[in-house]
Amino acid sequence: MESRGKSTVHGHTTMTRNVHNLTARGTRGNATAMRTSAPTTVVETPPPKSLPPPPAAAVLALNKMGYGPSQGDIGAFNALGSNGDERHTAYVEQQLNPNGIDDSEADARLAAAGFATLDMTLEQLWANYVTGDGYRYRPYYEVRNAAFIRALYSTRQLKELMVNFWHNHFNVYGRDYWIAPVFSSYDRDVIRANVFGNFRAMLDGMAKHTAMLYYLDNYTSSNAGPNENFCRELFELHTMGAENYLGVMQQSQVPLDNEGRPIGYVDADVFEATRCFTGWSVNNSSSTGNTGAFLYRSEWHDRFQKTVLGTFIPQDQPDLKDGHDVLDALASHPGTARFIARKLCAKLISDDPPQSIIDQAAAVFMDNLDSSVQLKKVMRTILNSDEFRTTWAEKAKNPFEITISAMRGTNSHFHFAYDANDTDSFFYRYDDTGQPIYRWPAPDGYPDTRDKWQSASPRVMTWRFANWLIDFHDSNGNFYLDLLGQTPGNVRSANEIADFWINRILGYSMTTADRTQIVQFMAQGHNPDADLPLDTDEDTRDRLRAMVGLILMSPTFQWR
Amino acid sequence: MPKTTRRHFVVGCSAAVAGMSGARFGSLLFADTEMPYNNETLIVVFARGGMDSMNLVFPVSGVDRGHYEAARPDIKVPVNEALPLDGQFGIHPAVGQLHNVYQAGRLAVVHAAGVPLGNRSHFDSQAFMELGTPGNNQGSTGWLARHFQSAYNLPPEIVMPSISVSSIQTTSLLGDHDSINMSDPGDFNLQVGPWEWRDAQRLAMRNLYSSDDTWLHTSSLQALDAMDIIEIHASGGYTPANGAEYPNSSFGRHLKVVAQMIKLGLGLRVATIDIGGWDTHNGQGDGSGGYFASRVGELGGGLAALYTDLGGFGGTDYTNNTTVVLQSEFGRRLRQNADRGTDHGHGGVMLVMGGTTIGGVHGTWPGLANDQLYDGADLAVSTDFRRVLSEILIRRMGNNSLGVVFPGYADYQPLGVVHGTDLPPDYSPGGALLFRDGFESGDASVWSGSQG
Repeated sequence: MESRGKSTVHGHTTMTRNVHNLTARGTRGNATAMRTSAPTTVVETPPPKSLPPPPAAAVLALNKMGYGPSQGDIGAFNALGSNGDERHTAYVEQQLNPNGIDDSEADARLAAAGFATLDMTLEQLWANYVTGDGYRYRPYYEVRNAAFIRALYSTRQLKELMVNFWHNHFNVYGRDYWIAPVFSSYDRDVIRANVFGNFRAMLDGMAKHTAMLYYLDNYTSSNAGPNENFCRELFELHTMGAENYLGVMQQSQVPLDNEGRPIGYVDADVFEATRCFTGWSVNNSSSTGNTGAFLYRSEWHDRFQKTVLGTFIPQDQPDLKDGHDVLDALASHPGTARFIARKLCAKLISDDPPQSIIDQAAAVFMDNLDSSVQLKKVMRTILNSDEFRTTWAEKAKNPFEITISAMRGTNSHFHFAYDANDTDSFFYRYDDTGQPIYRWPAPDGYPDTRDKWQSASPRVMTWRFANWLIDFHDSNGNFYLDLLGQTPGNVRSANEIADFWINRILGYSMTTADRTQIVQFMAQGHNPDADLPLDTDEDTRDRLRAMVGLILMSPTFQWR
Repeated sequence: MPKTTRRHFVVGCSAAVAGMSGARFGSLLFADTEMPYNNETLIVVFARGGMDSMNLVFPVSGVDRGHYEAARPDIKVPVNEALPLDGQFGIHPAVGQLHNVYQAGRLAVVHAAGVPLGNRSHFDSQAFMELGTPGNNQGSTGWLARHFQSAYNLPPEIVMPSISVSSIQTTSLLGDHDSINMSDPGDFNLQVGPWEWRDAQRLAMRNLYSSDDTWLHTSSLQALDAMDIIEIHASGGYTPANGAEYPNSSFGRHLKVVAQMIKLGLGLRVATIDIGGWDTHNGQGDGSGGYFASRVGELGGGLAALYTDLGGFGGTDYTNNTTVVLQSEFGRRLRQNADRGTDHGHGGVMLVMGGTTIGGVHGTWPGLANDQLYDGADLAVSTDFRRVLSEILIRRMGNNSLGVVFPGYADYQPLGVVHGTDLPPDYSPGGALLFRDGFESGDASVWSGSQG
């Protein structure tokens, strides 16, 4: 344990913490002497910090396979079987088959929000928002708003979590001049359509989508002027990953695996693949109809032979075949299977997941290359593994997850609509958390390691957002969050109020020490068993709001 | 139990700390010590996306001007518009204010600098630079974090040793649990929610996050600490001095936060800032205009505003204790592509700016003839980025622990970009010192970046 001194000065509790477990190498007495040799002291290895034990199966599943429990979710989960294992397995199966789950509330709320663009085809979007007069960023804003509604209300929680994952994996900057108008199609036709489907199919949709063709410049790439931006990231971020990049090296120098495939890729593979994708473009000029759809410009294509990842691609192949061959080689490479498996496990289990589960998931990926439910099978392997079911608190929710989870836990119904004041107020503050969705500019998507999200800015700004949320009211002074109305009439003492809301938001208890903090906050020096004047005193009702805010900002609420 | 604490992150710990605003911490609070603590502030600006250095600093004469013009028929910056550097090179006309700093002898230009490895990936190259370990992108501590771990000339207590001015922690400070990140001091608090319960709520937050010492508790307590510091010291807003005008952009605002933190006297030793938007594969602008010009205009205008604000051209002069270094993960292909943009390349440029900077053009120019280019395509790397950073570490920060900060780097020689006292470099790897957070232990030689 690290030692801490603690005192209270000027209303702030202050900490003196040993933030470096280092032995002093220079002391104030001898520090003028310059050190020119190896340090003579070594660091003690700190004991591993103990993490909280895994909670009940329902809490673990609902937080790791979605955005946390909403009212009624724990009961529904527990009805799936007679013990935690049965329930877990049944829940995984249910979530992996999202079309079998009734989603009428989310559907109704999406319909009520009056979105105009979510169902438009790519060509309709182009006609309305590129060649037409529509505000061209509208599709982006609608997809963003819909993502919040779905994450909040959809019963298909795992699907929504993975939609977010794949959006980051195949990241485009949503609020881009060219991408925003077609973003509804990218979200629906590329990401949502394939989230539990076939990886090669998702890759195909991505590589041919107008959003990606613009984002990574391939729409201009031609024999006369190849642009390698797309292929660079196709290899590094979308398929094989940097872990399989061998740098600047001759293709012939790359060692082969047992099946004769190069074990990794080199710059020459990127360059050769770039030639394969020349002519993969967008119908964006009046001479071709200006539909905004994918357009293969055969006259722009480099027709001569290429070699990519050890695959010989002969000259003068049929239209598109060169690019398809590259996608085939990438999607079936074991390096891709490992990279995708590792990334999925890092999302679902821990930043540095056990090799055992990565290997299992990668093997399932490779065994199901042609399956229409390849990714579903990979997911099933991960989610039913011991590694998944016994790991807890290796990760915390990121700002988007905290926000959705807080709203689900408190039954916070927010009006998300295009061009609405309250929606704008919401995002004005939410975006400060550091994770405005679909707006990560670089092609690698938002980071998902705990190092990135535990730093001061996301932590403070996400707390701040939760505290804003519990107090937000419309222009008539009506709170969006009716906490008093949700508190049963017989729950009036500090103990009862704290327990009700802890259980309601978390689905389980806090540690005794943490619960005491919540109770004491609510009691403010009064007897915690005495009824508080919640119904008659505004200050006490405000305290209830602040107490709920405290639970949302507490350590227990952050884990997943 | 650790035996000694080297440095505490001291948080609003007393009226004395609160009253220290405006004073230089190291020199006053610890004036009883027999050695002067190092008071330097290093500001690392990272241009993300691979800056086209060849259009920021470019040849204006000689045979390489011919190569440059031949390779960039549309996007070349005309000679007659270039701001002069040393006769051989010019700098982009959009950075006029920064050119004033150059003319004052306080801007060093190091061309052909970069990672001495063949790698054209943004994310690998950024990781190599920020972790300080070319060839290894898996480390869990950044080079600046290891600077703090190995510096022996800092006071034992510093209120705010480092800040990453961004919404997400920067990798170069990864593993430094004293570091805070923040993008706007005005919003960096919990002053929302029912006002009458804010203080009680804040106290309860502290208690909740003090109840255990997991990674989440530790980092959250630090966030609470950071919030206290900012609230005590920086809630009053900030007006730049000497008429400095920062660009109206997040980069400009972030630079202003750094200037504010320096002047608050909280002991700031390291700040990191990002400026993005450099991945110019397409339509970067012909000649001296267009998109690239606006990017370098913002970059140069921001750096010059910082220099002005810190008193480099007059007023209370903070620049003598401040060094700014600009880097980017790589430069771009010499030859423009068909979209009048440039693809990923190799050698880039580093800029160093400050009151103790030795102005001028530094480094060995590799040349632009085909056989002088890296891989037949890109400006070669003749100066390892670690050489420049090591010189700043030694001469300005007084830290010669190169083996800890840049494990595997072994042939340091000063380039002469800053004034200061030379110390013999210490290449010892620091052993377990490096691996506090489970960073894989052992053989530093596997990270050696000297190949390639």
